[in-house]
Amino acid sequence: MVPFGTALKEIKMNNDEAIQVAFRALSDSTRRDIIMMLSEQDMTIGDVVKKFEITRAAVKKHLIILEQGNLISVHQQGRERINRLNPVALKTANDWLNHFSRFWDNKLSKLQQVIEQDTKD
Amino acid sequence: MSTTTITKTLFFSAAPSVVWQYLTEKQKLGQWFNEPEADLTEGQEYQCMQDGMPLIWGKVLSMKAPNELVQTFNIKQFEAGESTVTWILREAAGGTQLTLVHKGIEEALAGEAMPLLMALDQGWDEHFASLRKGISS
Repeated sequence: MVPFGTALKEIKMNNDEAIQVAFRALSDSTRRDIIMMLSEQDMTIGDVVKKFEITRAAVKKHLIILEQGNLISVHQQGRERINRLNPVALKTANDWLNHFSRFWDNKLSKLQQVIEQDTKD
Repeated sequence: MSTTTITKTLFFSAAPSVVWQYLTEKQKLGQWFNEPEADLTEGQEYQCMQDGMPLIWGKVLSMKAPNELVQTFNIKQFEAGESTVTWILREAAGGTQLTLVHKGIEEALAGEAMPLLMALDQGWDEHFASLRKGISS
């Protein structure tokens, strides 16, 4: 049986910072659009700029934030820098569901024990 | 909108009125969950502390003793919204069938980014499906 505090602390330690940085990076609609485009194909900064009516500097700033959130990675290819989606970081949302599912399994099993014990007395 | 839900169902030999006490009374909650600061009351906020810090908190949205309890459920990481926990108690075979429904976890974490995560998840599912197909053929 995993104690209540331990279960939640485990969630916190594993995911807390990574998930917050990732979701903060996703809080902007332009960055979400960039992610959607990168889910279809890898792109250079020039490719991204062509799709938006914003400056190259602004696009670069968005890409840096996405990279800091570990949502994309940048690969050097000859003279070009290719931006690529990192699906692993986004999967953390599903990890959270799994954590909560286990959390409730532990809690409900404890509830069953407690009620059985109390009603037996 | 809620796209993801955790549902758990359990059976107890005790009556719904007994199980209800363990979901709503401060001391009995402390035996299996984390002890709130007071018994749960409809329309009131609740807070479960650990090491002097709020661990889980929310509001009791509705109480229909001994059959249904609905409460919001928040932790520090839920920056984008609230999740909701619903408890449903039904008399079954002389005891109780208890169903827990926890909704809105991903939305509470991701907020506006949620449709994007879902779209990407779907994309990966398709990708993995075609990958599996490729491996098995």
